[in-house]
Order: sequence, then C-alpha cells, then structure tokens
Amino acid sequence: MTFALGVLPVALLLLGFPIYLVLLTAVTVALVFYTNVPPVVLHQNLFGAIDAFALLAVPFFIYAGELMSRGSVAQRIVDFVQAGVGRVPGSLGVTTVGTSAIFGAISGASAATVATVGKAMLPAMRRAGYPEPFAAGLITAVGAIDIIIPPSIPLIVYGMAAQESVPRLYAAGVLPGLLIAGMLAAYVVWTAKRHGFERGSAFELKNFFRSLGRGVWALGAPFIILGGIYGGIFSPTEAAAVACVYAALVTWAVFRELGWADVVEAAAATVLFTGQVLIIVACASVFAWLLTVQQVPQSLVSWIQGHALSQGTVLLVINVLLLLVGCFLDPLSAILLLTPLLVPLVKALGIDTVHFGIVVTVNLAIGLFHPPFGINIFVAQSVLGLKLETIYRGIVPFIVIYLVALLVITYVPQLSLAGVRWFLL
Amino acid sequence: MNKLMAAIERILALAFIGAVCLNFANVVGRYGFGRSLAGADEWQIYVMVFMAFLGAAVVSWRRQHLRMDVLVRFLPGRAQTALRFCEIALVVATAAFVVVQSWRYAAQMFAIGRTSDVGDIPMWIPHGAVTLGFALILVSVLRK
Repeated sequence: MTFALGVLPVALLLLGFPIYLVLLTAVTVALVFYTNVPPVVLHQNLFGAIDAFALLAVPFFIYAGELMSRGSVAQRIVDFVQAGVGRVPGSLGVTTVGTSAIFGAISGASAATVATVGKAMLPAMRRAGYPEPFAAGLITAVGAIDIIIPPSIPLIVYGMAAQESVPRLYAAGVLPGLLIAGMLAAYVVWTAKRHGFERGSAFELKNFFRSLGRGVWALGAPFIILGGIYGGIFSPTEAAAVACVYAALVTWAVFRELGWADVVEAAAATVLFTGQVLIIVACASVFAWLLTVQQVPQSLVSWIQGHALSQGTVLLVINVLLLLVGCFLDPLSAILLLTPLLVPLVKALGIDTVHFGIVVTVNLAIGLFHPPFGINIFVAQSVLGLKLETIYRGIVPFIVIYLVALLVITYVPQLSLAGVRWFLL
Repeated sequence: MNKLMAAIERILALAFIGAVCLNFANVVGRYGFGRSLAGADEWQIYVMVFMAFLGAAVVSWRRQHLRMDVLVRFLPGRAQTALRFCEIALVVATAAFVVVQSWRYAAQMFAIGRTSDVGDIPMWIPHGAVTLGFALILVSVLRK
C-alpha cells in the first residue's frame, strides 16, 4: 500500500503526469491490487466530491472575476485609489498595491490581477522613472494577496478538503491580507523616499469624489459579496452567483463594454478552468478517502506525537514543506494533496484549522511568484513583456516581505481569528 | 473531434450561464416573493458535475491539464517521448476502469428508476456524466 499511495504518486508527479492522472492511477492501483473494497467506491467518491452546493462558489467566483477583468473596471479602481493616495512618495506603487487588494476582493484569481493591474500600472511607473526591476517585482508579487483576501478560490477548496466553514475562512483572511498589503505599501514608500521616486498630486476632495463616482459600480462588487455573506443575506455560493449577475450587468449595461459574445466567452473560459480543477477535486477525494481508510493521517499524528514536537516546530516544518511544494505546484492541487494529511495532524496539536487554512494559503501565495516557476512570473513575462531576469532581480525584497508576514501570521493566530470574531458575531 | 469539443464547451458555457441565472432567481424569489424554485440547487449542482467531467475531456483534448512538468522539461527528447507513451497507457487503463465502474452505477440508477430528492431528475443522468466524461477523455487521448 505504501507503493500505491506513497511511492507511485510522488514518482508520477515528479515525472510530470497530469495531477488528476497521478491521483487516479494511485487509487486504481490501490483498489485493484491492495484492498478488498468494491471498486464501485471509485465512482461514488468521484461523483460525491462534486455533488456539493458549496463547491459551486468556485466556478461562480471565477466567472465574476472573468467578467470584471474585461473592460475598464481595473482602470476605474486605479483612478479611485490614486485620487485617495494623494502626495505620498511612490504614489504609483502604493496605488498598485491598493488596486490589487481591491481587485482581489472582486476576483480572487491572482494571475488575472497581475495581468489586469499590471497593464494599467506598468506604463505609468515606467514613465515616472521607476527602476524596471522594482516595478516588475512589485506587480508580480502584489497579485498574490488576492488568494488571501476574500473571496479566495483556494480558501473554498481548503474549506471543502478540511471540512471547515468558508465564511469563517473568508473572515480570517481579511486581516492577514491587509497586513501584507500594508507591509508592501510601507516598503514602496520607504524605497520611494530613498531613491526619490515621484510623489502623486495633492489630495483634492473634488477629484476624489469624481473618481469615486466613476468607480462606484466597480467598487460595489466587494460590498455585495462580503456584505451579503456577513450580513446573513447570502451563502458564499449565492454571493458568488449574485456577483456574476452584478459583474455582467455592470460591464454590459452600465459601462457598455461587453456584449453577449463576451459573456459567453467568459463562461467558456470558466468551463475550462472548472474542467481543470474539479477533476482534481474528484480524484483527490478518492485518494483522501483511501488515506483515511488506511489510517495514514493517524499514523502521521502518532509519529509526530512520538517525537514530542511542539506546535511551533511543527508549524515551522509545515511552512518549509508548503513553501517548497508551492514553488512547483499550483495552490489548488497542493491544498487537495496535502490537506487530508496535514489537517488531522494540526488538529491533534490543538491548532485552529481556520488559522491553519490562512497559513497554508499564505505559503502557497508565495509560491505563485517565487522563482523559478511561480505562475505570476510567467504571466508578467508574457502579458507585460517583462524580462525574466528583471523580474527575478526585482522580486527578492518582496519575497522577504511575504516571508516576514508569513511568520507573523503563523505565530500570531489572533491575527486570523480576530477577523472571525469581528465578522461572525 | 475539434468541433465536438468546441460544441461541448459551448453547451456547457450556456448551461453554466443558466445555472448562474437559476441561483440568482432563487435569491430574488426568496427575498422578493418569499419562495424558492424547487430543485434549483440540484440543477445547478448537476450542471457543475457535467462541467467537471465533460470539461475535463475538453481540457484533455487541448492538453491543458494541470501538471508539475518543470523537471521533465530538462529530460532529453527520447525520455520525454517515452513518458508521453506511458501517460497515454495510464490514461487508457484508468479511464477504462472508471468508465466500467461508473457505467455499472449509472445503469443501476436507470434500472431502479432513482430520481433526485426534490427536482425528480433521473439520477442516471448526472451519474452518467462521469461515464461520458471519462469515455471522452479516453477517446480524446487515443485520437490525439
């Protein structure tokens, strides 16, 4: 059984086989050669994993993000943030951070944010004389906040895998997301002061309200999503569907930028994403079921307890493991593969699984822009035409900032759990 | 095959838009008229089931499945070709195994006339999505 559920999947994963095939091969070999379980459980688990209303939030939020990232929504948010920032040193960099955070509260898809916000901000930063590596590093790194700030697709998938409430996870993601955004903005201001980057134009109330008026429809989406969930009006799935209708109406009827063909095209892109991800969710469900039946997580817990490792040490080891995995694997696949193993372990150590969900997500967010293979690096390279070596050079200080934030988020659980108390009274 | 996959993608996209509208109508119905559409949740979930398994077939045809292929890129061409053949063999074996198991299950649902709890949807249809999806994955890999 160690071969079927351990050696085989790791070998196939390293050999570059599709992740769904890695999991499916492992469970097929285990079912055929190592267990007496009727093979019909394969179908029952594949179907049962997708037969869940909560999981509908994944394609719905992706669709809302797809619609909002087409057209002028990003530019309107940029104008609003820039008008609010005023004469801060490095105002364009601070605007990039603020816009990404707000865009993250709409879409929750990191790569889309890098592309959309990058297209809006990179030319302006170049014109203002920002060093290319700094601008490249900032744009590539800042998109990773989006999978921490709600609505986040990885948090929905973690919630499914760990059987944890999505509204609680979303509430827990707010403060850590804002902490990272604040640290990035502070670093931008500090660097701007040292190197004499531009300062924005002075804050004008009239200009602020004008840009607020232009961006109010775009800014409405986060209020509807989060207000709906925490006001007890919608479930996260319903909030996602309402966000889709809102996004379609705003981009189609209000901004008059999208037509019916664009709405269908965005739906087709969502279908492809769903096909890529949910097939892994289905196969991972059978894999997790087999791990549980074989008592693998319990064995891991006993092993850790036998070595009397403290909470802090285990979290440190898990952080290193997740950072390594995140360098090679996308966040959703990593969550589906590792959550069934890690959650019983952290539960046994008395670590809150909501707090742990945020720790997992922050780790995997770093993997999104960590050299050499972070997906955001390749998005910045292909969509924004940035050179790989420029991005690598510029990304280093931002990785350090995220790592410091990760340590704070890991060892100060109150930061995540305070949000749960505030939003879910 | 290209046309078939494009048609599946298009039909799933339209069904997905329908699911979004159904969900929204349910929210409006609940707050505006004090009632919900019976079986609306089931329809939406089963649309997602079709998106997951038939969408995976489209993804297979276009070779867009998520994978960790960063290490394999450094292997020589022959080794990569050998791995590609191994991948095809594994897809054929595992997809055929799933098709057989899920076909039996869907056929059983059909035979006993099982329907969903609220919407009275014949359950062999959503369960058949697993069979159809993996059958299409099998065919698409062999055709490719």
